[in-house]
Amino acid sequence: MTFVRAALATAGVLLATGFVRSPAPLPAQEAPAGKATYDRWCAGCHGADGAGGGPGAGTMLPRPRDFTTGRYQIRSTPSGALPTDADILAVILDGMPGTAMPGWRDRFSDGELRDLVAYLKTFSPFFESQPAPETLPIASAPSASEEALGEGRDFYEKIECNKCHGPTGRGNGPSAPTLEDDDDLPVRAADLTENWLFNGGGSVEEIHERLVTGLNGTPMPSFHDLIASEFMTEDQLWNVAHYVRSLAPEEPPRVSEVVRGARVEGELPASVDDEAWEVAERFYVPLVGQVVVEPRWFTPSVDGVWIQALHNGREVALRIVWHDPSRSPDPEWEEWRAKVVAIAEAGGETSDPAAAVSDTSGAAPDTTAPAAVTVAAHPPDALVVQFPRTIPDGMERPFFLMGDDREPVYLWRWENGRDGVEELLARGLARYEPLPGAEAGAVAAEVAYDDGEWRLMLRRPLDAGGVEGRLSFEAGRAIPFAVFAWDGSNGETDTRGSIGSWYFLYLDQPTASTVYVAPILATLLTAALGVVVVVRAQRRARNGAGR
Amino acid sequence: MKRSLEAMTMAVLFAALTACGGGGEEADTGGEVATDEEVGPAVSPDSAATVTGVVNFTGAAPAGEPIDMSEEPTCAEKHAEGPTRQTVVTGDGTLANVFVYVKDGLGSRTFPTSSEPVEIDQDGCEYHPRVLAIQANQPLVIKNSDGILHNINTQPTVNQGFNVSQPVSMETTKSFTSPEVMIPVKCDVHGWMEAFIGVQSHPYMAVTATDGSFRLENLPPGTYTIEAWHERYGTQTQTVTVGPQESGEVTFEYSADMAGRPVPMAEPIDLHDHGSEQPVAHAGR
Amino acid sequence: MKLLRHPFWQAVLVLLVAWILITFGIPYLPRLAGMDSAPVPSSVVLQYMVTVLVGVLIWVSDSDERWNRFLEPIRATMVEPERRWLRLGLLVAIPLLVGFLAFRQVRQTVAAPPSLRSIHPAPPSSITFRGTPMTLAGLENPLRADGSIAEDYEEGKRVYYENCLPCHGDALDGRGHYAHGFNPAPLAFNQGGTIPQLTESFVFWRIAKGGPGLPKEGAPWNSAMPVWEDMLTAEEIWAVVVFLYDQTGFSPRTWEEAAGEGGE
Repeated sequence: MTFVRAALATAGVLLATGFVRSPAPLPAQEAPAGKATYDRWCAGCHGADGAGGGPGAGTMLPRPRDFTTGRYQIRSTPSGALPTDADILAVILDGMPGTAMPGWRDRFSDGELRDLVAYLKTFSPFFESQPAPETLPIASAPSASEEALGEGRDFYEKIECNKCHGPTGRGNGPSAPTLEDDDDLPVRAADLTENWLFNGGGSVEEIHERLVTGLNGTPMPSFHDLIASEFMTEDQLWNVAHYVRSLAPEEPPRVSEVVRGARVEGELPASVDDEAWEVAERFYVPLVGQVVVEPRWFTPSVDGVWIQALHNGREVALRIVWHDPSRSPDPEWEEWRAKVVAIAEAGGETSDPAAAVSDTSGAAPDTTAPAAVTVAAHPPDALVVQFPRTIPDGMERPFFLMGDDREPVYLWRWENGRDGVEELLARGLARYEPLPGAEAGAVAAEVAYDDGEWRLMLRRPLDAGGVEGRLSFEAGRAIPFAVFAWDGSNGETDTRGSIGSWYFLYLDQPTASTVYVAPILATLLTAALGVVVVVRAQRRARNGAGR
Repeated sequence: MKRSLEAMTMAVLFAALTACGGGGEEADTGGEVATDEEVGPAVSPDSAATVTGVVNFTGAAPAGEPIDMSEEPTCAEKHAEGPTRQTVVTGDGTLANVFVYVKDGLGSRTFPTSSEPVEIDQDGCEYHPRVLAIQANQPLVIKNSDGILHNINTQPTVNQGFNVSQPVSMETTKSFTSPEVMIPVKCDVHGWMEAFIGVQSHPYMAVTATDGSFRLENLPPGTYTIEAWHERYGTQTQTVTVGPQESGEVTFEYSADMAGRPVPMAEPIDLHDHGSEQPVAHAGR
Repeated sequence: MKLLRHPFWQAVLVLLVAWILITFGIPYLPRLAGMDSAPVPSSVVLQYMVTVLVGVLIWVSDSDERWNRFLEPIRATMVEPERRWLRLGLLVAIPLLVGFLAFRQVRQTVAAPPSLRSIHPAPPSSITFRGTPMTLAGLENPLRADGSIAEDYEEGKRVYYENCLPCHGDALDGRGHYAHGFNPAPLAFNQGGTIPQLTESFVFWRIAKGGPGLPKEGAPWNSAMPVWEDMLTAEEIWAVVVFLYDQTGFSPRTWEEAAGEGGE
């Protein structure tokens, strides 16, 4: 039992040292209750004056809420109305997925939360001047039967959700590139296949509430009037919510550090939409903005890719699928790109982000001025898969952000509009150099784009073919890889894009017969031993009895 | 019965108009009182004055910018000559779509709210009219003659906005509670669609027609600041004094080289402030 | 109750309790102190259980009498005719279990290779900050001396929100909105195991030199921590250090403490 005692003792020491919190040295002023909490934890983004212009705001799209306008996205109240206290509290507790707003559950006492809600309301005169907001009554949800989903789908088209969200909900509708919020900042139509990123939550109930109430300050309208005007019934609106929910997976994707590539016999899939990919296991790799080296990128477009891998002992094939509402360079998105780039370049320096987009002082944007940036500067979509030059024996590998001067990485770079895939080395982010001795076309590539989705297949022999610096793939080893993606229509190129950490590609080995031999041997040996022991014990017992 | 009520209302109003200089509690709340009565003159017919005028325009109006409506054939078909964004509509040396209203001079008088609905229609993926005058709490009927999805996204500062969808031919009735010049209206589905709504607590406002003319009737005698607002050329003010049953005339001069001047948008006019130039409490952004 | 006096069942009970404590009890302890916790790896569980088993065997074999009593039920199961079915069952079940465990050992595993890294590697005694040599040992935060800590806090807050927020988060819990994209996860400052154990000069070093400035035992190739000396001035870094301690309510480790505990 000593080890238990030792463990307890260790824990006791840990508890005794270093956990004593000193009181906050900055005393709170005589101020409304809630101000101290707000100033300490909220003002960094929302600003001390509540106008959404804190130091963290400059790089964010969407911007932090401007509490002085009284416009709140996530509400249970009619379009344009104020939120209830419970609505505000729910957003504080749960945060807004898909944005920089975190959930603050378990951080504040009930009293602090109550004071905070009251304090937020003091920023807008509407809470004084308007009658108390009332929650819209909502009928309970019908069940999500096949027919219900079918009807939801019909109404998805009838009420034209596709105009912004696209025919299958990937946020790529014809109106998506022009969407702006009330501050004239570009805002994305949600990708409905990623419900874990919905600002107001991804459950059917939450989706339905968004449909009923709309998202104030954004282009998302309320559909509540359609029930009163008898265009659709309550159940039909519920069915739209069920249908939208069905566009996303049951559970948010689980991230696995290892991407497993199954071994297939015979040929690898010949095309990106080959049936073999239907059954191959998919792995999700999340990507985030490149915020490590300058120029940094805080408003990335691609938030993750799905990867599949297969090999046949001679070649390896990867299939990478990701959502991107634009097939860049796409002239339809040029205005969007110019706006995002202007905002990024203004950074946190301007308090009025819309001024970065348009400098007309009125709200009527002067679109007669020609766009400063031409389509020629509109970069293509691109994707990079990066590996070390050799499979590392120890833990050490190149720097995850495309290597460094000391240790370069080996990578495959695909770019829309260019044939095939380049094999390159890189010594730092986007610092590419040719791979000496590489023959063009060594990595076969096939790509498809439709309805807001890229599908890219990459294939290469496992063996490096004697080229120095080119990775030799081996089955049964953990091969580090990382993925980078760029959406040109979002102004992304070079260091401005989405990046990810090192993951591991594991190509399955053919199942060796030894895998079965050892357990069977162990079983038989144990059984034999058991029998011997029992027989000897019985014999001894008999002899003992006989004696 | 009805007549006597009417007479009483008139009497009360008249008393308020003549007696009150400094305003009072009634004046503060008066703007929100909507009556079910038919519109009655706010002033005695004996003394009612009129201000008429014209908005002139010199120079060349910019050509409309072409709009790509290829995604919406329903709307594109309604524009035989190709759809364009017309921020400037002119007549023969006159300017249309100018919102003209009494900005100052009414003191703290209050006026009954008209129950006559004001209509805005979405036709050919454009708002008709493009510029619209409405009283606080007066019903605004929003029509969709296109039968395709529009969302009506109003973006006021002092009023509470709304953003509702109309996926089919239908009507929705809304209203605004407070004076505001001007409330932008947009449709996010069709980024080019735009309209501007001017809201006043009083009825003395108009939008110029192609001939540039406007007419503000039934004004109590007094001295008024009249403001003209145009979405591209900004605002101008004129002062006019009218006696009982008199008619005053005001002329505004706009020219093409005024483009790019500041255009006030969603700026509140505070009733409680008795027409001072100060912007109201919260300067949102 | 009579069962509990029997050495065999006592041994079984000890093993069971030990197993529960190791697998559930130990991971629960850090959580009591507000720290993140992880399950105990199975190899460690096995190691501990073997230790417990050895201890139990030493104890039961301590006296001949106890040893014989301990063996009684085992012998009985092996020889008594009325326990025939139990005997047969165990003779089948135990080899199968062994076979299964052996299979688990030899079959293909696709776990990521272990990534062992030192979270607080030893700092160098001096660094070069933007070309200027700087001695870290004994170095105090210069902003603490000038008496305008409230302003430094505000400045640090600005720097933090403009730069650190996406990964380390509003709550300083290492859960910013980009944190999920990085492995290792960004450091949480609001836990006792992190910044209160460090001197301010250590924190300065970690910020200034970032991931690439880590020694090898810190796995510099994985860290997404930028080299902030490229983007921030020394004053900005010291200010953000002030902010980190103030915002979390922790105090930095002093050099006296560091010297006193140096032997650990």
